[in-house]
Amino acid sequence: MATNGTSKTAVIRIQKFNPDKDKKPYLKEYTVTVTPDTTILDALEEIKATQDGTLTFRRSCRHAICGSCAMNVNGHNTLVCNQRVNAHLDKKGMITVRPLPYLPIVKDMVVDRTSFWDQYQRIKPWLVPPEDVPETEFRMTPEEVKALNDAEKCIMCGACYSACTVTAMNKSYIGPHALLKASLRIQDPRDSITDERLVEISGADGAYRCHTIFNCIDACPKNLNPTQAIETLRKLAQKRAAYVDARKERQKTL
Amino acid sequence: MRITPTRIFQIQRISAIALLVFMTTHMVVVHYPPMHIDFSQIIVRMGEPIWKVIDILFLLSVLTHALAGMYMVLTDLQKIGPYRQALGWIAVVLFVVFFAYGTKTIIAFQPPV
Repeated sequence: MATNGTSKTAVIRIQKFNPDKDKKPYLKEYTVTVTPDTTILDALEEIKATQDGTLTFRRSCRHAICGSCAMNVNGHNTLVCNQRVNAHLDKKGMITVRPLPYLPIVKDMVVDRTSFWDQYQRIKPWLVPPEDVPETEFRMTPEEVKALNDAEKCIMCGACYSACTVTAMNKSYIGPHALLKASLRIQDPRDSITDERLVEISGADGAYRCHTIFNCIDACPKNLNPTQAIETLRKLAQKRAAYVDARKERQKTL
Repeated sequence: MRITPTRIFQIQRISAIALLVFMTTHMVVVHYPPMHIDFSQIIVRMGEPIWKVIDILFLLSVLTHALAGMYMVLTDLQKIGPYRQALGWIAVVLFVVFFAYGTKTIIAFQPPV
């Protein structure tokens, strides 16, 4: 790692894989010059522009809001657009960047997220309002909003899903991302299919499959807490009938 | 009664609480007794009806917790998915066999005169 004023060289070790040519993924090292503000995504862009045009990765907003650039950096899932290179360099001045683990690799950093979206669709992530929608606006109390634990801030980057070891073994598991969204809808007093949602999440592939390993919390770039959401879902599933009745009563006062 | 994941979750939590009580009792009474005891005292105690009941309940909670846990861990594997029901029945059969054998052993035990 050579230093020149505020800039220095860093080695970015990237997992490459082209299914048309390679039998298995391999690591390739690239040397780039970085400043204190250079993000890992900046470094990848530079490598693609100047050293290896075949390097393939997803990115879009560069502001940690689209969730496209989730990758595995030094064994930890994160968004590369808001992570500075300097913060992740090891003693040898090196960073290892891999695609999200446990998902089929399409090419280099690009993974197949089909199972991720399939599970997301499964929990019906949209709001289903009651049939007799009142003329006035729906109003939630501050306590009800607080109980959602900021779940609406999830950007669907897949970092938690890919960090989950249960997902690694079983792609039919709903997954932390979808369970977080399910908790958002189930605890939302404006939603009308609470019972159906609770039945779905308490099935064989639902919330009880979670082993509370906390990998999802560790991976979430938005500091959300899917494990807490899953625990809440388990509690609500235990008293499903009572909760559904309470929800109906609550909707009369929306 | 259909054994749903919710039910297994409840069974495992309840058996875990029972295990905490029985395991603590077992460790204190058998392995780290506050007073000096010897082999003959332990043998006599194992023959007392109250300890036989405690041992049977301990066996019940261990088997319930272990088999429910093994079922959940094994069904984590996607390949096991189609055989979930068969695996559940295997767990039930194992439970019955081990519980019957263990209970028979506990009840049949008599301290040598």
